[in-house]
Amino acid sequence: MNLFGMLELSGGAMSAERQRAEVVTSNMANAETTRTPAGGPYRRQLVIFSARRTPEFPMMLAGLRNASARGVRVDQVVSDPAPPLQRYQPGHPDADAKGYVAYPAVNPVEEMTDLLGAVRSYELNAAAVQAAKNMIQQSLDILR
Amino acid sequence: MSMIDTPMTAVLGHFLDLSAYRESLISSNLANIDTPGYRARDINFRQELDRADSGEMQYASFSPLATQVRGLIERPDGNNVSLERETLLLAETQMKFNIGVQVLRSEFHRLSSAIHEGSTS
Repeated sequence: MNLFGMLELSGGAMSAERQRAEVVTSNMANAETTRTPAGGPYRRQLVIFSARRTPEFPMMLAGLRNASARGVRVDQVVSDPAPPLQRYQPGHPDADAKGYVAYPAVNPVEEMTDLLGAVRSYELNAAAVQAAKNMIQQSLDILR
Repeated sequence: MSMIDTPMTAVLGHFLDLSAYRESLISSNLANIDTPGYRARDINFRQELDRADSGEMQYASFSPLATQVRGLIERPDGNNVSLERETLLLAETQMKFNIGVQVLRSEFHRLSSAIHEGSTS
């Protein structure tokens, strides 16, 4: 009865994981960026997920307000408060008076791990979509 | 109960509804595998099926009771979704749903054969 809700739920999770992967990629791309529109070096971005109740139409129609299947969404994207790394490069145009350049505090190993996690979670939810599709197909087979 | 409904179709209907509901809970657990503080949820299948069959749960107010799963290892961020448990359950529930569908089909075939006076439809 809420088979299509499952598709929506897992689909939402897939887009949340994709957004996480995008943010991680942007962190890696900007690992050496010393200039941003806001001034200063690039700040590492982090996504924060939160669970939400999905008020899908079919569920509300069936009076299933208390149905407890929960989707996920990206609650917010925050900047890592970690201080920038200081590297001694006196010749660099962005160096301060003492010759230090502020670089983003991005750890490539950490970002790669996060990226792998996002990709695996994406695959996981894709598997759940496949399961929901199979169940819908099987329900249709009753009619044959 | 109408003429076409047999006791078996009613039970199978509940079985399929509950399987689908459980699958949606599993999807929801998988969707929130990276959500801090999320607790895995599931239903007591046997208990809910008994409840549905006893007529306590009318069709219009299909509302199985989902509870937090006990005895799972919690990660430092407060999330206790177990990947192995959920993926195994996903496959298991899918197969159970398939069984329900096949049995329901054979039940309808039986009815159809009765309608056609035993000749193969």
